[in-house]
Amino acid sequence: MIERRRFPLARLTSGLPPARGLLPLILGLALWQAFGPRQSPYAPPPSAWWDSVRTMLHNGKLMPALGSTLVSFALAIVIAALVGGALGLLIGRSRTARRALGPLLEFCRGLQPPVIVPVAVLLLGYAESLKLLVVAWVAIWPILLNTASAASLLDELMLDIARTFRLDRITTLRKIIVPAVVPDFLLGLRVAVPLGIIITLLVEMLTSLPGIGSLIVISQRQFRSADVYGLLVVVGLMGFLINSLFAMAEQLLLRRWPPRAPSTR
Amino acid sequence: MPAPRAFSNEVGAGSREGAAAEQKPKAFRRFCETVKSFRPNLSGTLTILAVAALWEAAVRSGAIAFDYLPAPSAVFVAWVQLLLSGEMLVQTAHTLRAVLIGWVVASAIGIGLGLVLGFSALGRRYLLASLEVLRPLPAVAFLPLALLLFNFSLTTELVLIIYASIWPALINTMGGVMSVRARLYDVARTLRLSRAHTLIKVIMPAAAPAIVVGCRLSLGLTLVMAIIAEMLANPHGLGYAVVSELQAMQPQRMFAYVFFIGLLAIALNGALIGLSRRFLRGHAAARHD
Repeated sequence: MIERRRFPLARLTSGLPPARGLLPLILGLALWQAFGPRQSPYAPPPSAWWDSVRTMLHNGKLMPALGSTLVSFALAIVIAALVGGALGLLIGRSRTARRALGPLLEFCRGLQPPVIVPVAVLLLGYAESLKLLVVAWVAIWPILLNTASAASLLDELMLDIARTFRLDRITTLRKIIVPAVVPDFLLGLRVAVPLGIIITLLVEMLTSLPGIGSLIVISQRQFRSADVYGLLVVVGLMGFLINSLFAMAEQLLLRRWPPRAPSTR
Repeated sequence: MPAPRAFSNEVGAGSREGAAAEQKPKAFRRFCETVKSFRPNLSGTLTILAVAALWEAAVRSGAIAFDYLPAPSAVFVAWVQLLLSGEMLVQTAHTLRAVLIGWVVASAIGIGLGLVLGFSALGRRYLLASLEVLRPLPAVAFLPLALLLFNFSLTTELVLIIYASIWPALINTMGGVMSVRARLYDVARTLRLSRAHTLIKVIMPAAAPAIVVGCRLSLGLTLVMAIIAEMLANPHGLGYAVVSELQAMQPQRMFAYVFFIGLLAIALNGALIGLSRRFLRGHAAARHD
């Protein structure tokens, strides 16, 4: 019990591979910097990437784009988590709902993320809400399906306990079902978060709505290759930060749950 | 907890199948299984039909304010026209070709690297972190880069597809190899198998289910990336068709393509599940020791 309360930083980083593994990447970049052509139109050296990112920071291009992307992404994930979690609980706990909605949901999930974008453009026009809707639509499925499957596979013994204690439906939901479902819900969210980042970028690329995605495409169309490489690094860092923040939050939250058998991804 | 349960199920299913095999001819047995497993989901079908009917009614009566929402019947008519004119077949052929080439190459690279990394702790120590830096980079962000380097071409499409689809195959193969039970290594040592033989005869069969799962995930990703690439970087195929119908303001044709792509994804996934069931009989049990 006391053991559980301590939460050393080491445990957060324990899942990471050893840092020595970064050597090939660093070596590659160093060689690129040392031997790559200075003024290459296609493969500018890493120092040029840095310069161009700094320029974009100074002329006020980078921050608004980054902000716009992050806000859309965060809002969409929140919507997807709320709607997906609620629908997942409903579908998982009700056999009738599962039978009735199953094929429709399966079909909706089967619609490929990139083709949702033109459909949304057609119906909504190039509006800011389009970004939100498309990202939420794509991010909702892993959350919904994970929650639903966890809720439907709930141990019957747990429900018997609820019945023994004569808990009403709300209390059963709050005390038995939701806690049992949370780890799988978070697992779904863990799939949805990187997917959400990708789709946010994709929507921006396809619709030229303001954001990092459209900034990269514009740089590419103007053949500013150093900008493209620099933005790629920025996007990578953004994804890394979001994912690791989420992983930490998940670990913190799941401290109070019993450990799960490690699943193979 | 789930692992042993799955294991006992496998055993149960296997022995029942074995008992049935003694009694009836194979084809008949398979037919019986198909009939038994086919449960018409009436309420589910009704829901889909109801949604379609509602949509149709809403569009016809003008109850929906969207200007460009075609009725399902119009979408269906457009789909039949596209099929008959052969236009859809041409685009599908292009996309499928890119998907298959990309998938085979990506799977080969992914499985190869995954085997190396799963098998060798040294490889993991000195390479894994670099890969973990590259892996979360959203593959779509590489599209402008690929476009810069290879222009509007099939190469751009394939580069993007392959880059994105390597990861699931790699990660799953590595995970599969690393979760091979130590006991199996002991068996290999007892039989004095060489490293190569251990890999081929022990590790790969034991990791096969994980590898297949990885390749299946890769295939799904391949189609998505092909469509993305066709929308932005290679004006051919289904992805391009969707975008060009949008720009030509032909919503019913666009919806026909959208739904068709969805069906194609389901069909591809289903085909691969069928294939892996056929080739991996009994393997699920082996994996759980």
